[in-house]
Amino acid sequence: MNATRRRTLLGASGALLAAPALGQPRWPARPIQMICPWAAGGGTDAVLRIIATLLEKDLGQPINVVNRTGGSGVVGHAAIASANPDGYTMGIITSEICMLHWQGLTEVTFRNFTPLGLMNNDPAGIQVASNGPHQDVRALAEAVKASRPGQFKASGTGQGGIWHLSLAGWLMAIGVPATHVRWVPSNGAAPAMQDLVAGGLDFTTNSVVEARAMLDANRARSLAVMATERLGAFPNIPTLKEAMGIDYSNGAWRGIAGPPNLPAAVRTAMNAALDRVFKSSEYVAFMNSRGFGLTYADAEGFGRHLAASDAALGDAMKAAGLARS
Amino acid sequence: MDPLLEGLRLVAAPDVLIAIFASAVYGLVVGSLPGLSATMATALLVPVTFWLSPIAAIATIITASAMAIFSGDIPGALLRIPGTPASAAYTDEAYAFTRKGQPELALGAGLWFSAIGGIVGTLSLMLLAPALAEVALSFSTYEYFWLALLGLMCATLVARSSPIKAIASMLLGLLIACIGMENPAGTPRFTFGIPDLLGGIEPIPALVGVFAVSEVMRAMASVEPPKMPFRRFGSILANQWKLTKQYQWPMWRGNFVGIVIGVLPGAGADMAAWVSYAMSKKFSKTPEKFGTGHAEGLVEAGASNNASLASGWVPSLLFGIPGDTITAIAIGVLYMKGLNPGPTLFTERAGSMYALYIIFILANIIMIPLGIVMIRVASRVLRAPRAAVMPIILLLCAVGSFATGNNLFSVLLVGLFGCLGYVMEKNGYPIAAMVLGIVMGNMVEQSFITSLIKSDGDVLPFFERPVSAFLAALTLGALFWPVAAWAWKRLAPRRAPAAVG
Amino acid sequence: MQLSDRITGGALVLLGAAAAWGGSKLPAVPGQDVGPAAFPMLIGFGLIFCGSLIAFGVGRSFEVEEEPQENSGSLMARLGLRVLVPPALLLFYALAVDHLGFLLTAGVMVFLGALALRASVKLALPLAIIAPFFVHLAFYRLLRVPLPEGLLGAPW
Repeated sequence: MNATRRRTLLGASGALLAAPALGQPRWPARPIQMICPWAAGGGTDAVLRIIATLLEKDLGQPINVVNRTGGSGVVGHAAIASANPDGYTMGIITSEICMLHWQGLTEVTFRNFTPLGLMNNDPAGIQVASNGPHQDVRALAEAVKASRPGQFKASGTGQGGIWHLSLAGWLMAIGVPATHVRWVPSNGAAPAMQDLVAGGLDFTTNSVVEARAMLDANRARSLAVMATERLGAFPNIPTLKEAMGIDYSNGAWRGIAGPPNLPAAVRTAMNAALDRVFKSSEYVAFMNSRGFGLTYADAEGFGRHLAASDAALGDAMKAAGLARS
Repeated sequence: MDPLLEGLRLVAAPDVLIAIFASAVYGLVVGSLPGLSATMATALLVPVTFWLSPIAAIATIITASAMAIFSGDIPGALLRIPGTPASAAYTDEAYAFTRKGQPELALGAGLWFSAIGGIVGTLSLMLLAPALAEVALSFSTYEYFWLALLGLMCATLVARSSPIKAIASMLLGLLIACIGMENPAGTPRFTFGIPDLLGGIEPIPALVGVFAVSEVMRAMASVEPPKMPFRRFGSILANQWKLTKQYQWPMWRGNFVGIVIGVLPGAGADMAAWVSYAMSKKFSKTPEKFGTGHAEGLVEAGASNNASLASGWVPSLLFGIPGDTITAIAIGVLYMKGLNPGPTLFTERAGSMYALYIIFILANIIMIPLGIVMIRVASRVLRAPRAAVMPIILLLCAVGSFATGNNLFSVLLVGLFGCLGYVMEKNGYPIAAMVLGIVMGNMVEQSFITSLIKSDGDVLPFFERPVSAFLAALTLGALFWPVAAWAWKRLAPRRAPAAVG
Repeated sequence: MQLSDRITGGALVLLGAAAAWGGSKLPAVPGQDVGPAAFPMLIGFGLIFCGSLIAFGVGRSFEVEEEPQENSGSLMARLGLRVLVPPALLLFYALAVDHLGFLLTAGVMVFLGALALRASVKLALPLAIIAPFFVHLAFYRLLRVPLPEGLLGAPW
């Protein structure tokens, strides 16, 4: 069943890709390697694997996903940036690439990549336990402002992780110092949500998606989402703008990129292929089922997004004292 | 429609049955290769599940992970190379059976009691899920801290060596776990500017190095032992019923401990196996036999680690909190297939839930015949000449550790840990204790530091909550055991001078 | 590599001191009272304590005597260096595999490893030719581990 489906799609994609310049072998002529800087089984791995499966059908060549883990993403990102720019090694890059270099952990920045397409963005939310005292985000903000420094405890990920920065950004937006609320580092969002429900924390600032099961179980509530518009999967959660008139957004994003100086033919072909993948019903269905945010930007838009994200995260890290001066 | 019948109907579909069988064989093969963990076996299945029906997709994950955890015991018993951190707790015990010429007894016990543990764990999942989930949710970082410390204390009980050397080995493991930036402060520590060290030392290369590579090194330095007289491999299950009756109490204790530890997110099969093996020795009538090929500890720990595998699904299914790395992957698959974790899964999708239970039980039942075949095939390795087996093991160590992160740095680590393991072993430092330190290091530090942050540096909250007070008492008891034992030994000769040899 | 307890205990004391000193040098984290230094320092002091106890022979009575080695003194000396063959082969693998490719590197590794274990060339050679193919098949095909091709690609 799969074989026939694959063959028809392969034929269709062959017809779609008009023959390129004569005399040159058509790209891709052999299998492509896609590097994932995070471990197999995680969210980034899942997103890359669905993209790879769909790209494989679209481009007609096998796509091998390779997990190059280590160094909190440093190793895999560096492997993508330093790959041979022949169009046969690319990978998925994540928000961390705009954070690690501010901490002085790597020399690699977003400028060391050829952006190909932004495929996903999961905005941060503000979650409280459902039996907690704060009914809306405005009340929580007032309580935070009235508290003494370090009295409120929040979590969502490790020290200096992306959700720590969403806390710092939100605190600055409501006019208190970025370190006013004490950050409790955790091994990711799931343990933080558990500690929130067990009564160990005041609120969490991880993504709404990661809080989903606790929200469904009515153990926690999400007061606001740090995005420009409401999420399709969570239409009842107001944006910060709606709830308290603050223009602040932050999220964990993922995109496909290659090493610098990719041939123009590869860039164009990948750009078109990623566009088709993003619009395919399989991708939309997969992302919706996992609750991952569907945000797309083409190569150029992804490039602008990278620059903006790098600047914003850098500011938040400096304010929270996390950047290496 | 009756949810149980609905569940049976869902499982009886041909695609589900084929998925169960295929992933069972796959899990057995992958789990038995050194360096490839059950987590890895599961992660590699995820792309396959894209094309399967929801129940078949979950069935592949459940079956493959259960099989891989069991077959991790096979190389441990035959060659002293534990397949997973969980089997590291009793690898020496199982290998002692092989040296006595009874590998089938150790592997049979692993198989039989794993299956029993898996089934008992599933029953607990069926009957007690909501109650167990409440227990899991009431654990905050203070309780986790004591639990982790208690787990570390098992090092002194498991080792057949000086407790002080066991603690030193464990501290060495904890120090190794400090490497990298995966600590609560997110600060790189002891990385010496090497980017590969930023992510820390993975347990798998360390495990493969200290056990397998050091074993190959020992083989280099010794003359080939005389061949064991050729003997037909005995029946694998024949003695298990006897063991079941003889060690009934340890078995139930193992099941119980496994279920409780499995339910707690973050403390999975690894810790269950360690705690159960240590408990078994502590409460045994014949603790001196442990480590010499004595089945009691294998029974308890084997039952425990598979029981924890099943109960680990409780927090995952109810709250989407992964109990361990395997269920973390499984949660992704559940969402992908529209079986969103949450209490509604148990009420509105009761049919699917029963299907899940049935798959668990089915997987543990077919584990027995498939496992027997696997043991028979794998045991041929013992008849091959050592000079042929050892180089291939070395090659598997290199490839297996490379496969954990596709990073050649892991291969170097395996070599380094091989040397470390060799030197430690020669000087009476138990390597299993060091592995325990590496595996538990992050949890100990994380719970300790975050608890201190939450209490603003106050120690009192560590003892205030009822569960944490109870765990604290247990831990402090275990902590002072070596000191008391040492004092006892020093005082004993004076009372009975003839007893010292 | 049998060392006296004084030496291993002393080494642990030094390691513990280094860990505690290295830990104390770690920068504090802004906004947190407890930083990255606490845990390594704790372990460092623990190691110093345990190391000194071991060096003074405390707890020796618990140890099970190592099984007597059959090797005579002269044999031991001859075998001494062989112990380092496995780590050396792993080092060789890590350095060579990207250039030579998996099949060649693995073949050399198995061949030398078997010889070091006193296998005859008649056993080592076929083993070194056949084994890498099976390992490659299992890891590359079944588990999709990207083993480098190098100079000699696999037929699949």
